[in-house]
Amino acid sequence: MTAALRALLLAAGLAVIGYGLSGLLADPYITDPLDVAVWGIGGLVLHDGLWVPLVCLLGAFAVRGPVLRGWLVVAAAVTAVGLPAVLRADDDHGNPSVLPLPYLRNWLLVLAATAGVALLVALVGRWRRRGRAVRRPAPRADRS
Amino acid sequence: MDTEPADSGTPAPRRRYDPPLPAPPAFLRRGPFRDGAFSSPLHEPRTVVVVGRWLGAALLVCFLTGLTSHLLQDPPGWLAPHLPARPVNGYRVTQGLHVISGLAAIPLVGAKLWAVYPRLFEWPPARSVLHALERLGIAVLVAAVLLELFTGLLNTLQWYPWPFPFRQTHFWLGWLATGGLLVHLAVKAPLIAAVWWRRAAPALAQRRAFLAATTAAAGVVTLVTAGQSVPWLRSLDLLAPRRPDIGPQGLPVNRTAAHAGTVTVPADWRLRVDGPQPFELTLAELGELPQHSAELPISCVEGWSAAARWTGVRMADLVRRAGAPPGSAVRVTSLEADGPYRVMEMPAPYVDDPLSLLALRVDGEVLAADHGFPARVIAPNRPGVLQTKWVTRIEVIA
Repeated sequence: MTAALRALLLAAGLAVIGYGLSGLLADPYITDPLDVAVWGIGGLVLHDGLWVPLVCLLGAFAVRGPVLRGWLVVAAAVTAVGLPAVLRADDDHGNPSVLPLPYLRNWLLVLAATAGVALLVALVGRWRRRGRAVRRPAPRADRS
Repeated sequence: MDTEPADSGTPAPRRRYDPPLPAPPAFLRRGPFRDGAFSSPLHEPRTVVVVGRWLGAALLVCFLTGLTSHLLQDPPGWLAPHLPARPVNGYRVTQGLHVISGLAAIPLVGAKLWAVYPRLFEWPPARSVLHALERLGIAVLVAAVLLELFTGLLNTLQWYPWPFPFRQTHFWLGWLATGGLLVHLAVKAPLIAAVWWRRAAPALAQRRAFLAATTAAAGVVTLVTAGQSVPWLRSLDLLAPRRPDIGPQGLPVNRTAAHAGTVTVPADWRLRVDGPQPFELTLAELGELPQHSAELPISCVEGWSAAARWTGVRMADLVRRAGAPPGSAVRVTSLEADGPYRVMEMPAPYVDDPLSLLALRVDGEVLAADHGFPARVIAPNRPGVLQTKWVTRIEVIA
């Protein structure tokens, strides 16, 4: 039963890939599908060859404590989503209702607000540990 | 399945139809390929499966809502007469969800790919032909998902730095990514099932912290962007490319009159309605026909949506006046000189819906040039690009 379901899922997935690939190659508006491949592979190389190694190195050598790590995860996400708007804030192609907000200020505001919450979480964690006052806590096993 | 008895020494049972590949010489196993190159305890299946469930759900929502959008915007001929004009906010909800889940998927895909990153350096790189194919499939899946999220995000800002057309590429990559996801689920099913439940894996304090951080990241991203489509989150709309109350007459605009070349409307503007009994109306004559008001959203494919009170003549009244029976579809032409949505076809369910208007006013004011003066189409449950502005002609086509 489960083997049949798995086979069905596999076949459906391959069919969907085939449909997408043939559509991509045959679409009259996509004159050069190679461009798409170049951007796809480029994204893969930048992500796996530059971004993740950087994160791993930072995590292994520079960043300690779950709260700081947690805040950096949040900050990275906010930056990934918000940075394009920050970079393009002045470029609305003559349409003032596109990108109408002060994005640099808002981005820094979100970073600061989340940092404030992280600080609060860290302080509460420290206060609770001191309350227990058993032994010096191991920072990497911290649950805060 | 056609398997030999599992050998405890090998990671997977070898299949007869899966020729093994030779391992590269051991001296090449350096750097990240070494055993223990990655020290975090979180590169383990339970963490990967928990994040993977969230990411998989977000991607499937993206795919289904994206498909909905595609079918509403560009329906195949057999489907067009059956498109539903209700629920009124249907497209607003599905396309809002499309962008919300796509943005939430950005931190989720980051967390997921970080957690499985050591697998990129597994040794030997390919044990067998099937294993090599599976890894190739993963590469296609990851590349398609990353490019899909990247192009989708930038499209919401109307930023197109790539050489290919956005809409078609985003559509086909969606199929590629979804197919890749299904294959991935099929291949990994036993592993996923083994750690699906919490009791199947030892509790890890770091895992709790990592999952909490990932949830917080997805949550914060959603909170500061979803206000562009969710009214009660509007005050937190800090990083979305739109604010639903900013624009001419308090409504955003996708294509301005300046872009369309319709800032000034010809003095002899008439609405021409072609049908069995064709007729023409001046703006003043249009204003003398029975006026109706409807609270309808403009819902953009880029995710933002804004509701307003539109007033004008019912599409059905105009079509009836031209002598066409209920169940007729129409073609609507704009004054703009070019643009992919200059001509729009409206299937019968929208034409017949009493809420579908040729609007002359919004929130009590005469339409601004950017909102389609002298007259625009507004209909329920339709993508914004099909709410044709600067209308000059309506033809009954079937």
